[in-house]
Amino acid sequence: MEELLGGLSPLLASMVRNATPLVFAALGGMFSERSGVVNIGLEGLMLISAFAGVAGAFYSGSAWVGLLFALGAGLGFALIHALMSITFEADQIISGTAINLLALGGTGFLMELVFGRSGTSPRVQGFEPVAIPILSEIPVVGRAFFDQSLLVYLMYAMVPLTYLLVFRTPFGLRLRGTGEAPEAVDTAGVSVARMRYYGVALSGLLAALGGVYLSMGILSAFTEGMTNGRGFIALAALIFGRWNPVGAAGAAFLFGLAQAFIFQAPQDVIPLEFLQMIPYVLTIVVLAGFGGRAVAPAAIGKPYRKE
Amino acid sequence: MSAGRGGLSSALQAALGRAAGALVFPLVAIALALAVGAVIVLATGNNPLAAYRALAVGAVGSPAAIGRTLLNATPLIFTGLAVAVAFRAGLFNIGGEGQLYIGAITAAILGVSLGFLGPLAIPVVLLACLLTGFLWGAIPGLLKARFGAHEVITTIMLNFVAINLATYLALKPFRTEGLVPGTDFIDAAARIPTIGLGLGRANYGLFVALVAAAAVYLLLWRTTLGFRLRAVGLSPGAANYAGMSIGTSTVLALAIGGAMAGLGGGVEVMGVYGKMSIPFVSNLGFNGIGVALLGRNHPAGVVLGALLFGGLASGAQELQFETDVPLDLADVLLAIILLLVTATRLVELIFGKRVREMASGTRLDEGLAS
Repeated sequence: MEELLGGLSPLLASMVRNATPLVFAALGGMFSERSGVVNIGLEGLMLISAFAGVAGAFYSGSAWVGLLFALGAGLGFALIHALMSITFEADQIISGTAINLLALGGTGFLMELVFGRSGTSPRVQGFEPVAIPILSEIPVVGRAFFDQSLLVYLMYAMVPLTYLLVFRTPFGLRLRGTGEAPEAVDTAGVSVARMRYYGVALSGLLAALGGVYLSMGILSAFTEGMTNGRGFIALAALIFGRWNPVGAAGAAFLFGLAQAFIFQAPQDVIPLEFLQMIPYVLTIVVLAGFGGRAVAPAAIGKPYRKE
Repeated sequence: MSAGRGGLSSALQAALGRAAGALVFPLVAIALALAVGAVIVLATGNNPLAAYRALAVGAVGSPAAIGRTLLNATPLIFTGLAVAVAFRAGLFNIGGEGQLYIGAITAAILGVSLGFLGPLAIPVVLLACLLTGFLWGAIPGLLKARFGAHEVITTIMLNFVAINLATYLALKPFRTEGLVPGTDFIDAAARIPTIGLGLGRANYGLFVALVAAAAVYLLLWRTTLGFRLRAVGLSPGAANYAGMSIGTSTVLALAIGGAMAGLGGGVEVMGVYGKMSIPFVSNLGFNGIGVALLGRNHPAGVVLGALLFGGLASGAQELQFETDVPLDLADVLLAIILLLVTATRLVELIFGKRVREMASGTRLDEGLAS
């Protein structure tokens, strides 16, 4: 029994670490999609922010400056997506795909310029784990949930905050209305384009938190392509969670648990390559099982043109 | 385009008008991307004119450069077709990357042992790549048709699965002794020969790609099946009302797309590398998306788009050599082109409202999970 619980704590801790970037990105995706803009570019938003955070910390020596850089990069790239898909009426899925490719090529380009190398950046000051007194003393779960980076605690706070913002404020009502019935929102005198800009901008900031956690909460260095599909897994979590912050976070923890198993499973029995497939296969299974029945915001994906 | 009354016949005039219209969006996207690229080059402290000159020299400045461009363009034609076929049926296939890996590992495994077939080895192995790509591509089609799982996410997820699967096969059961991790070299009989003419490693795989593009054109615009795929793509409701099965169309379009990318993977192994080493070439599948969109999801456009992107990639090598602009600039330009190529309103602001209809064939405007 003791042995079983001893193995459980690292597994749970790994689940939290893997779930954190997914929760941030899924919450970000929710703001964008609730406003009616598909954000397939979450992956790229996380990647460019992960890089910007490390670059900021590298220049300043401060993790907090890094975080500001990351938020700026996430917001900037999100606004490109907003400009293209809202103002210029580009196809949202294609614009998002372009954001992903831009982040992939852009980080490769900037790695050479900033660090003079490709692959992995130098180590920088990151967000180290901070144990919360008393809570971290709880057996098994304490260390797993409450001896983590500050960004993880921010993630815990974001879930209820996001819920309240979306479901209990006038802003949230307008945002949801924009995704469901833009004509009605327009008639009520609220600018559809502005609400959508807010939605996409918030998705950039939240995805940036996810990206910066990857590069500065876990590793303290940037590696090219380090997001490894997490932006897409977060989108699946969002759909699985039916565009609800609590549901999306729950789904993200499920995916985090699947990723945690990769590091815990015996590799001599199951080849590493098959273990690495697990989160992706799980995503497909979840989408096939639940995605078809989930109902997206009604006006999602369609540019709104005021006539 | 205002030819006199007695000038061109109206049919020809209309055809020319359509062709010119088809070029408006790609040309605006390319021009704007080059302008943004020039600003980026300036920001790195280099002269944009010198940089673009190096890019052009690297792309088409010598037979060797042209050979490199053709070599780069070949797999992009396949992955561009993989996107285009699905797009015409109203689907967005982002799975080209994984489908290419499936074809590549198929060729790497079969190419080693099927050498005894002699001159038949090449067509047989290519056919096998076509088939495995088809089957792999059918998976997201079935998932969508049967369970409603959106193909954008499933095809991306299947990329990771395919890459891991191919990596496993190349590193475990089919690994060869040697310094470079990967499979053994395939039999000489299964190698696609190079063209020669000073074109370096450019090989006859290019012609396989052109044949594939022609086949996709004939399939989509000259067969009943193609008509059905396009009808479902244009208006699923109307097609369904006319008795066409949306499910069948979905599965077939994604499977045919997968077959194209699989063929591309096979051609890379048989024409360029002769084996599958790990890590294998990356991003060919993703860049195929840009190629297809730039080519407006028409096979002829895909070929042109692939040549442009292939040229950008080979030019970037010269660019990095001549200046200190990182070669990743090519990827950045490509992403900017993709970002701009469907920006209807932007082109409308430049050219006026009538270009709006010209955007057809480049949009899906369909939300996730819808």
